[in-house]
This record gives sequence, structure tokens and C-alpha cells, in this order.
Amino acid sequence: MPNVETALKEATTIDGALGAALVDYASGMALGTIGGGKDLDLAVAAAGNTDVVRAKVRTMEMLGIQDEIEDILITLGSQYHLIRLLRARGSQGFFLYLALDKQRANLAMARHQLKKIESELEV
Amino acid sequence: MGGTALVPAGAEAEILAELRRLRARVPHLTGALAASVDGLVLAQDSAATEAESVAALTAAALGVAQRLSDSTGQGGFRELLVRGEHGYVATYAAGNAAVLTLIAQPRVNIGRLHLEARRSSLRMAELIDHTLGRRGGPGDRP
Repeated sequence: MPNVETALKEATTIDGALGAALVDYASGMALGTIGGGKDLDLAVAAAGNTDVVRAKVRTMEMLGIQDEIEDILITLGSQYHLIRLLRARGSQGFFLYLALDKQRANLAMARHQLKKIESELEV
Repeated sequence: MGGTALVPAGAEAEILAELRRLRARVPHLTGALAASVDGLVLAQDSAATEAESVAALTAAALGVAQRLSDSTGQGGFRELLVRGEHGYVATYAAGNAAVLTLIAQPRVNIGRLHLEARRSSLRMAELIDHTLGRRGGPGDRP
């Protein structure tokens, strides 16, 4: 079982990766971050995307949809932002966040790789 | 309002505006107040909490936090987070003379709380240190 650090390192090997974070959406704080920089403050991303995840969870409750969120894709002009919720037993309440450069990324491949990282990760 | 003459009315209004901005930006905040490090309310924007007693308790906690930080080699005080069964109390240094204390529901996004409160405390520090500085500086206070 890879730990948080190795999982995040693996996420940076995904083509086009700009930064990644593992976030606790109960608190909005990151358990770990990698990459980012002055153009991408991952602490801000962690807090902001916590609101995104919470809003979607609440929306599903309101719609009466009894299902789980697997991932959330946000497409920007120049980037993709992927949010993948952890679903392993004992690892719920966390999500992986990955920012990708749209020019360099292969979305299908990135999503597949992130899914693999998520499924193997134990917090 | 504070009811103290620690800061002039103009500065108090600006601090209050900052507190209101903070409450608008962070959902699930139930109270926000700026206090001097010796426990006097400078400005407050809260639903129900007793600002005076919170400010006084903040000052007491601050004293312990400062000593704890100092004696373990962590330097000056920056922030203090208390999590109770029914929510959070967070205190952030706002310069040398004042602190920002926030009360939040358990659902609050702590990551966002930290981000917004750190920014606000910097702006408040400028406001407060500037006014107190003009009136002799925090070093003159007891």
C-alpha cells in the first residue's frame, strides 16, 4: 500500500500534471501536496475544492440520488482539474486533486491513472 | 461595538468592515472579533457570543499559547485553534498588539478559515499597528 507521499509522487508522473493534493474534506485541509507554486496555490485549491465536493454531496442528497461521487472533472481554457474521492474502507472523507495542463494531458489516461492511484492509496 | 477608546472610530469601522467581509467569505462562522492582546474588544461582529468575555479569555489563552510557543522554540505566537464538541474557536495574531478571534460551527472548512483569517489578520495588523503606532506604540501598553 503506497503512502500519501508516494501516491502524490506517482500523480506527478501523469502527463501534464501541474500539481496534486490529498485533501480531507471534513476540514478542507491538505494531508499532502506536490507541485503547484505561485500560479497554483494548493492550499487555496484544497479549501476551494472542498466546497465544490461538499456542494455536490449536498446536491445529490437534495436530489435524492443515493449514489457515490466517483470523480469530478472541471475543464478550464488551459487546464483540467480532476477531483477523485477516495472510496477504500477507512479512507473515506478524502479526495485527490490533480491539476493538468490541457495541452500536454491525455484526459482519459490521466483519469485512469488517478483511479489506479486512488484505489491503491490508504490514508 | 467595543466601547473602548483603544482605536479611533474610523479605524474601528474599518476593522468591523474587515470582520464582516470575513464572515461573508467563510460560511459557518458564527462570530468574529478583534481584541487587544490584553483582552479588550476593539470591534466585533457576532450573532450571540459575549464579546467581552471571549476577548478576556482569548487574552488568557494567548498568554499560555505564547509561553508554550516560546518555550518549545517555536517563536512568536501566530495562531491557536480550539475544537470543541460543537465547533471551533480560532485566534490569529494581528500584529503585536491585537488578535482576531473567530467562532465557527463544526461544519466549517478549516482550510478556508485559515486562508481567509490569515489574510484578514494581516490587514488588521496594518490598520491597528498603524493607529496604535501613531499613539505611542504597543510597547507603551501595560
